[in-house]
Amino acid sequence: MNVKQLPISRQGIIPLLIAIQALVLLPLWFYIPVWISALTIVLLLAKYAMYRRDATPPRWVLLIVVLLCVGGVFLQFKTLNGRDAGIGLISLMYAFKLLEARSYRDAALILFISFFILVTAFFYSEAIWMGLYLLIGVLSILVGLVALNSPRGFQGLSGLGKISGVTLLQAIPIMILLFLFFPRSASPLWSMPSDSQAGSGIDDTMSPGSIGALHTFDDIAFRVDFEGKVPPRSEMYWRGLVLSRFDGFTWFKERHSPVRGELELPMTPTYQYKVQMEPNNRNWIFGLEELAEAPKGAYLFSDHTWLRRRQITQRFIYSAQAYDIDFSGQSLSENQLERALQLPRNSNTQTREWAAEQRQKHSSDEAFIRWILSYIHQNQYRYTLTPRVIEVDTIDGFWFDTQEGFCEHYAGAFVYIMRSAGIPARVVAGYQGAEYNPYGDYYIVRQSDAHAWTEVWLEGEGWRRIDPTAAIHPSRVEEDLRGSASSRDGWFEEFGSDMGFDAPEGLLQNLALRWDAIQTFWSETVMGYSRDMQFSWLRKLGIKRHQYRYLGYGLLATIILAGFIFGYLVLRGAQKLEPVTKHYLRLLKKLQKLDIPCDRNMGPKDVLKLTRESSQKVYSRAAPALKTYIEIRYQQQEVSADLLKRFKQQVSKV
Amino acid sequence: MIKSAKKTFFSWVDKRLPLQVATLLKQKNIYILPTRYGWLMLGILVLILVASTNYQNNMGFMAGFILLAVGLLSVFYTFRNLKGLEVRCHKSGSVFATEDATLNVQLVNNTQSQRFGIGVGLTKKSVSYVDVEAESKSLATISLETHRRGFMPVPRVVCSTIFPFGIFEAWSWVRSPYQILVYPKPIPCPEPLITTNTGIDEGQAREKGAEDLHNLRDYQAGDPIKQVMWKAYARERGLLSKEFEDYVGEQQTLSWDSVAHYEKELAISYLTDAVLAAEKSQQVYGLKLPQESIAMGQGPEHLHKCLKSLALL
Repeated sequence: MNVKQLPISRQGIIPLLIAIQALVLLPLWFYIPVWISALTIVLLLAKYAMYRRDATPPRWVLLIVVLLCVGGVFLQFKTLNGRDAGIGLISLMYAFKLLEARSYRDAALILFISFFILVTAFFYSEAIWMGLYLLIGVLSILVGLVALNSPRGFQGLSGLGKISGVTLLQAIPIMILLFLFFPRSASPLWSMPSDSQAGSGIDDTMSPGSIGALHTFDDIAFRVDFEGKVPPRSEMYWRGLVLSRFDGFTWFKERHSPVRGELELPMTPTYQYKVQMEPNNRNWIFGLEELAEAPKGAYLFSDHTWLRRRQITQRFIYSAQAYDIDFSGQSLSENQLERALQLPRNSNTQTREWAAEQRQKHSSDEAFIRWILSYIHQNQYRYTLTPRVIEVDTIDGFWFDTQEGFCEHYAGAFVYIMRSAGIPARVVAGYQGAEYNPYGDYYIVRQSDAHAWTEVWLEGEGWRRIDPTAAIHPSRVEEDLRGSASSRDGWFEEFGSDMGFDAPEGLLQNLALRWDAIQTFWSETVMGYSRDMQFSWLRKLGIKRHQYRYLGYGLLATIILAGFIFGYLVLRGAQKLEPVTKHYLRLLKKLQKLDIPCDRNMGPKDVLKLTRESSQKVYSRAAPALKTYIEIRYQQQEVSADLLKRFKQQVSKV
Repeated sequence: MIKSAKKTFFSWVDKRLPLQVATLLKQKNIYILPTRYGWLMLGILVLILVASTNYQNNMGFMAGFILLAVGLLSVFYTFRNLKGLEVRCHKSGSVFATEDATLNVQLVNNTQSQRFGIGVGLTKKSVSYVDVEAESKSLATISLETHRRGFMPVPRVVCSTIFPFGIFEAWSWVRSPYQILVYPKPIPCPEPLITTNTGIDEGQAREKGAEDLHNLRDYQAGDPIKQVMWKAYARERGLLSKEFEDYVGEQQTLSWDSVAHYEKELAISYLTDAVLAAEKSQQVYGLKLPQESIAMGQGPEHLHKCLKSLALL
């Protein structure tokens, strides 16, 4: 290649490069620090101004500004390492490169680096429109490359732009095949500092107001896809954490070690489901009660919760099975019993004494529990997001004084009362309910579905779930909450009445659900495509797990197949000869077969002469065709359809 | 080391290249390799795939695979841009040594697809690009440095393209069967050459007719255009040459003996200059060289004959 013959001063190249850079940087402007975004925009505008005036900046000025920028990035991030600092720095350098671009080499470098910059945006967002943006971005870079490598430069999208579009369309099927076959690794190649912002979600501590605060978040916590049976939504308790230690104000998670092997409990599988969890920057994952086997990549703990090995910084997909566990015949170990009865000294004494006293009036633990729930139902306990603040002895204040609160108030107070009465109990944090999406046939659990409930240990029966919040009388549920609690159907109504599902009403909600279904397909099936999914469809093809080589074969076959198909498609065009030449070559071949030593390099008159000298018989047959060819070639006129037809027939007769 | 390897490689290439006027570019004679930017793209591709694996970013994988597919496809597109083209070498005119000879190469596109950015040159790094429309021809001109008199073989010509994306470069080599005749470099002789005027006797006899028309005869190749009787031609009597008497006395034979005492190349250059001077002043001249003699004559063809003899001496 002779790059001097392809200068970037050719028509339209620099404006095109500016446009491509702007397009490629566009999504990053929303994520990188504002001053870097602004500076890149200024640099692009400066380049355009200089292009109009045919000026180039002196190198030493550029060098100083570049050094200042590197310093600025360092001050911003306190490092030049790491993802965010790296992307900030590379976008600045990218814009600077164009500013000083003078040759083919610079332009080619910018265009190929554009591919990388395009990809950096995907570290911030994998939303569905980013897929569209990927195609537009690649197309524009290809247009840039075509213009750069064509002697005429850029002359609008219509002519040379077509080749980029066609190439991209042909590239998509190859991309899909490679996407399916390319071996994925289960874990990252190296660990990275997590520098994305903290996601919202349930924490491993609970104090008054902590879950209520989540209620305002409409963000999706996770989506659930049931295989087969679906439980009624009032039964959808998504268990996340067990909070057992109480210090008088906050409930804490106990430290456990994971269960090795399988739980040795009699249990029957109930529901099978798949969860697609949004990143929450935490380790815990949620499952439908009861939890037994840990999904891949997570541990099971003895309090029937799961923890993932790594924080969930990317969307995490797992399949799980819910069980009915029969705890009867089990007993709590001394250690477990101690934990389930632990109460802080010297606080909330009023409730503690009251509970012990009330327990005496009832014959059994179960009767006492039922009485407490009806106590909540019949007394002026209200369900509100904005309870009055209690300074000390939060449980005493709630239970006897304010009598209003959110689920954490009820769950906390209930466990406190149980423990005071000598009944082992604990708080469970997670989500309750789900919104059905009929278009995607899955359920959406939002942060606003965050919930806390309790478990009590009944001798002979084991752990039993009690949700004290559900005992509140419906008339005392805050208006706002009643509406938004629609996803927990049957809540605050009578338990057990499965209301079934009503299709969502209203056009807007309809569209929103459809859109979410498309997005879910995108994020679950496309963006969530992983090693497990890869193996799962390979298994369906009869290929056993861990036969990695089949992926390799698939990959190789893809490339070879694509080579054949596109080689044929692309090269077919090059062989299409102009018809007169095509027939003339056919004629020459025929003559060669008849032992006339002619070839392409001879003029048609020489061929005619040669034929006459070699064989009179051949000459009489071939002369008309040759003469027609000479006529077509030397009269330099438009070849009419008739003439072409005549020539073709004459050639055929030879 | 690299230089000698290159030399060996190209002499091997030259041996394989047939000398032919027209070469049809096809599978057999088109070569293709990534350009340096192709390698750069491969590096970026690997970077994207590693980053995507690490961050488990399927979008990154998609971008990487699109890039890979584009790279794969560009092999065909670049190859197609050359395939089916016909390269025709034209004969080159003669030049004097150290002047640049021009080599004309015609690109003939008999196919129905347009070809963009076809580079023609002596090396891949010195090609100049032309577009060739569908079913048409483009002419590319290469200038060649000449050093020595005599027949110069035309070097191997490369025909290359990096269109559309600059990721791959496809090229083909062709060799022209035509040689370029390089005349000796003319150098004026520091002292006047001794010439022998052979036509003295006859000259004296016909001296009087200096400007007079002496005779009309049929035009013969080599007659100066000035002597053609255009009036007769206009009356459709054919091309007639006027014979004048006045070149008597200006006939001269340029002889090798007159410069034999100089160094050979220098001597040839002096004679060349003398031949050119004689032709310029419209003299009738002959050339007497050690091995051959060229009879009296005048005109471009005669000049070429003399210069050729000198070039090949």
